[in-house]
Amino acid sequence: MPVGPQHPALKEPANFTFVVDGEHIVEVRARIGYNHRGMEKAAESRTYIQNLYLMERICGICSVAHTTCYAQNVEYLYQREIPPRAEYIRVIINELNRIHSHLLWLGVAGHEIGFDTLFMYVWRDREHVMDIIEAMTGNRVNYAINTVGGVRRDLNDQAIAKARKVLDILEERTKYYKRIAAAEPSLISRTRGIGILKPNDAVRLCAVGPTLRASAIKSDVRKDDPYSAYEEVPFNAVSYDMCDVFSRVLVRVDETLEAINIIRFCLDHLPGGPVRLKLPRNPPAGEAVSKVEAPRGEDIHYVKSDGTERPARYKVRAPTMGNIPAVCDMLTSKADHTVNIGDIPIVLASIDPCFSCTDRAIKFVDPWKEREWIWSHEQLEGYTRRKSRP
Amino acid sequence: MTEAFVEAIIQIAQILIFPGFLFVIGLAFAYEWFDRKFYAKLQNRVGPLYTGPRGFLQPFADFVKLMAKEDIVPLAVDKLLFNLSPLVAFALMLTAVLLLPISSPTGILSFPGDLIVAVALMTFFCIIVFLSGMCSTNRFSAVGAERAIFQLLGYEIPMMLAIVGVALGANSLKIADVVWRQGENLWYIFGPQAIGFAVYSVAVQAELERIPFDIPEAEQEIVAGWLTEFSGRKLALFRLSRDVELVFVAGLGAALYLGGPLGPIIPGLEPLLYTIYFIVKTVFVLVVLSTVRALFARLRIDQMVSFSWKYLIPLSVLQLLLVRLVV
Repeated sequence: MPVGPQHPALKEPANFTFVVDGEHIVEVRARIGYNHRGMEKAAESRTYIQNLYLMERICGICSVAHTTCYAQNVEYLYQREIPPRAEYIRVIINELNRIHSHLLWLGVAGHEIGFDTLFMYVWRDREHVMDIIEAMTGNRVNYAINTVGGVRRDLNDQAIAKARKVLDILEERTKYYKRIAAAEPSLISRTRGIGILKPNDAVRLCAVGPTLRASAIKSDVRKDDPYSAYEEVPFNAVSYDMCDVFSRVLVRVDETLEAINIIRFCLDHLPGGPVRLKLPRNPPAGEAVSKVEAPRGEDIHYVKSDGTERPARYKVRAPTMGNIPAVCDMLTSKADHTVNIGDIPIVLASIDPCFSCTDRAIKFVDPWKEREWIWSHEQLEGYTRRKSRP
Repeated sequence: MTEAFVEAIIQIAQILIFPGFLFVIGLAFAYEWFDRKFYAKLQNRVGPLYTGPRGFLQPFADFVKLMAKEDIVPLAVDKLLFNLSPLVAFALMLTAVLLLPISSPTGILSFPGDLIVAVALMTFFCIIVFLSGMCSTNRFSAVGAERAIFQLLGYEIPMMLAIVGVALGANSLKIADVVWRQGENLWYIFGPQAIGFAVYSVAVQAELERIPFDIPEAEQEIVAGWLTEFSGRKLALFRLSRDVELVFVAGLGAALYLGGPLGPIIPGLEPLLYTIYFIVKTVFVLVVLSTVRALFARLRIDQMVSFSWKYLIPLSVLQLLLVRLVV
């Protein structure tokens, strides 16, 4: 039974082919790559400043995580620290982004199990956080707040006052949803014991982010390898040990509550000073890797500079990529538990997939001739040249 | 001669116009609108808005639009079944509403045992669902059809037991008798039959394939389930039969538990008042159904069946015992 590339449960194209026995899933084959956009190649042909806007568009939901990662990466190339106020603002915007992303996910999860009322309510409340983001950055989706060397806009008092007010509402609502999640029987019966990912499997399959933390492993880039101002902010890495979808719901709801506290702390302790460091146009030659805890998990960017105004190579590993093997494992029936067709949507959704961020042309598969091959960079270039020859 | 002729004309008008097909179809659109609007209110949305006052004409507009759309018959389907099933489904539901007491305490068709026919028509509808899913030769349709039958195993027995309770109470298998009996005494919803009403409202939710039991057409899992391959006029007919079924189910609920169209009467205005009472009571049933729909997440098929065998059936048996003790 095919799910995708076009399927109501998937908001983006991907294909999962399921071998089913009645209602039970025996095997799953994932096929990604429908939404390859050539971002990395595009990054090589743009300047470092232009790339900010490209990176913002890797993902529509965790846009700021990618720009933070990118900006940090380039700052590592310059080997310069950005002003502390800019670091705090980055943390605030990143956490607001996390709240918005997790609430969005909670709504989608509700929708996937047919609980549309939850979906509508959560998305209504998510508008509050969108409003704060708009007040702070001027935009709702692609905030364009980060820049190489700091942030582009300072926070004004009006936005801060508004944020404080709205955070109270959000906290109350999020706590309410947590109570609902813990008490609503039909929701529990659809998520408890579903999509099991054992801790050792989670590590073996390189799961990241909330998916990993829901399998009892407390791994969070913000804690393990702090960036920006995360070192100075007190917060807990949330983790639950039920290893199922229910535990992923709880992790995300709790992370939303943590994020609210982080933002409050940052607003209270916002240092003064400038928000931006003026840097020379071309970074020195070198390489850098930067990691950011995006709402979906660890986001890794790699940059190689040859001293010109454009990166020589840019590589992005979006978090969903790390979770694809894990979700295939969750969807396969094991000796001790079976997976039903009815569980496909919620289990797929439980990793909060974002396929357009993930897709890379790494392997060519011809499913009809059952042929697979990999091209090197030169071969690929040669192919492009042949094709583009008039 | 002329008298018999006039009589026949009146009967045909009753069947075709009021309170028969035309009225019920109009009511079906109105109830779909009400259901959507009320469901939207519960979810903090506005619901249909643009077509007609407060979006009242939206279901009708949807129907007209679907009628005008391209009607695709896939190559691999069983043509006869595929073309016939929407018609049969629609015909089944129109027949069923003739049994409902709307403008008088007896339906247009009324005979001893019509209660059994009403239940049978609902089950036939489910069989049509299964057949149309299977004849589509689509994987999603097949899974949906399989689920529809599996679901039937879950909800049919508790629903029947609940209705048996009513029949026991009235000592008759005729809907009109059940209604009269409630006119003489209390409505059945006040008393042990209230359990039956609860069971009935949950079970018909499955019959109507609405959340939490919209498993055979679970959008996120199997696209549109058994409906996946239907388009254009066929889909329109299926949707209309669903709406008529909604009227039927709400009307049956009202007839069995809320005293049907009975209420205080001004002589001379009976048909009008009966119709008004019917609408008020069915809307009440509809409110119950829509609220249930907004409150829960969709269950999985195995959870649905075990839920109904663990809770619904014991409840309906309990209701039977209580009714037996009271009567």
